[in-house]
Amino acid sequence: MSESVKQILERLNPNAYVDRYGQVYTDTGDFMRITGGDIIVLNNEHYLVLRDEVERSFGIEDPKYWVKRCRHLETGMRRILKLVFHEEFFLQLGEIKVPCYRSPRKEARILDLVRGDGRFMQGFSAKDPAGNNVRVLDVIRGKRLDQWIHELDFDHKTYFHEYLPQILPKFIAACEAIKFLHDRGEKHGDIRRDHLWVETGTGKYVWIDFDYTFDFHENPFGLDIFGLGGLLLYIVGKGFYSHQNIASLYADGRSVPGIVEGDFLLVFKNRLANLKKIFPYIPESLNWVLMHFSGSSTVYYETVDEFLQDLRPCLQQMA
Amino acid sequence: MDTNKILVAIDGSENSRRAIDYVAAIIKDCQWFKVKLLYIERSPDRDFFADDDLWKKACVKQRKAMHDFLSKGKQLLLQRGIEEERVQTDYVESCNSPLGGNPDYCSRGTSIAQDILHVAKEEGFGTVAIGRRGVSKAEEFMFGSVSSKIIHSGSNCTIWVVQ
Repeated sequence: MSESVKQILERLNPNAYVDRYGQVYTDTGDFMRITGGDIIVLNNEHYLVLRDEVERSFGIEDPKYWVKRCRHLETGMRRILKLVFHEEFFLQLGEIKVPCYRSPRKEARILDLVRGDGRFMQGFSAKDPAGNNVRVLDVIRGKRLDQWIHELDFDHKTYFHEYLPQILPKFIAACEAIKFLHDRGEKHGDIRRDHLWVETGTGKYVWIDFDYTFDFHENPFGLDIFGLGGLLLYIVGKGFYSHQNIASLYADGRSVPGIVEGDFLLVFKNRLANLKKIFPYIPESLNWVLMHFSGSSTVYYETVDEFLQDLRPCLQQMA
Repeated sequence: MDTNKILVAIDGSENSRRAIDYVAAIIKDCQWFKVKLLYIERSPDRDFFADDDLWKKACVKQRKAMHDFLSKGKQLLLQRGIEEERVQTDYVESCNSPLGGNPDYCSRGTSIAQDILHVAKEEGFGTVAIGRRGVSKAEEFMFGSVSSKIIHSGSNCTIWVVQ
């Protein structure tokens, strides 16, 4: 007869506190049933489920029932288990709908590809007896890059001169990590602000979450590059600037610079790309990179290489 | 490069059917022109499927649909009075297809436009004809555009973009 949760805990971690003694799961297919107090057995190792992961966005908590915060009972280490959830959906980017898919095996493949590479979250995948591809992830100790930047309590000019010169080289290294994937025919798939973290202690930037995929035949890495452009805009601007934000910057009575439609992003038409208009000390070369993502651009980056070829020289100009 | 050879790149869409129509109208009374209908395979992405069986089924279905489209395209040209010996079809398989085959040249899936231009160059086509979807600027930025890339990258040939 198989062990109960209580027996497993008494054997592996007698001091563990749990609200409830749940069930032991080997088949992880029905992830909605698996919750705090349950134990997932994978490759004969035991993961005590603490809770479902939650995504926080705009102050709203969105539970991700297929992602479980766990304690690996054999080592005591915290782990995240991502269970199989095949999901096809449309990502709405401005007026464009992008068909996307959540692919466990893509994430598993990338975990293998980036093993030991500190620029990416680490982990491994294993199949449960029912054939479900479970990804076992190390927990990153750190903070989202956008939050880290947001919490820097300085005006933009101070931030730009004192912090951005330290941030930009790390961002370039993060872009090189994406190029590493692209060079091997892989994509990150979901490059956005909350998927680049600053690791506590090392200060390194670490990419997380590789399970999204998209399929653009003529521009295979288009969505990743679009994501990098959006991140760069946030990093350089210390936030995004809508018409309303711009107006509040000039609430002191200074005259608002003439801003036209082409100064905003091509895809998100309420985010200013031409930051030099509101922050004149931004070098032309850096603004030029941002303008490639604007509505007035006629030339777009198709590879991370092209993006970096323009971005790297900006470092010297900022120094 | 042979000015009497026309390559029509098709993708199964109404736009590419219009391109075939247009080429047929241009050359129907010109006995010296030869036409090739070319399809560059875009295999469905493996990662979009829960397992390989579903993926292979989708690939088989798509391959059949595109072979049918090529046949219909050829029939369209024949119906317009173009002799059979002047019409060829070519199906360039994807290197990533699970359906086997060991073609001399396969598409790596990084740029259909470059694959089309590769065939045009290798086989000396003087004209490349292609339909145009008419995408927005934002869509072109995000998804890319085969016709735009052919216009920008094509050399040593004339390019007809059929709207």
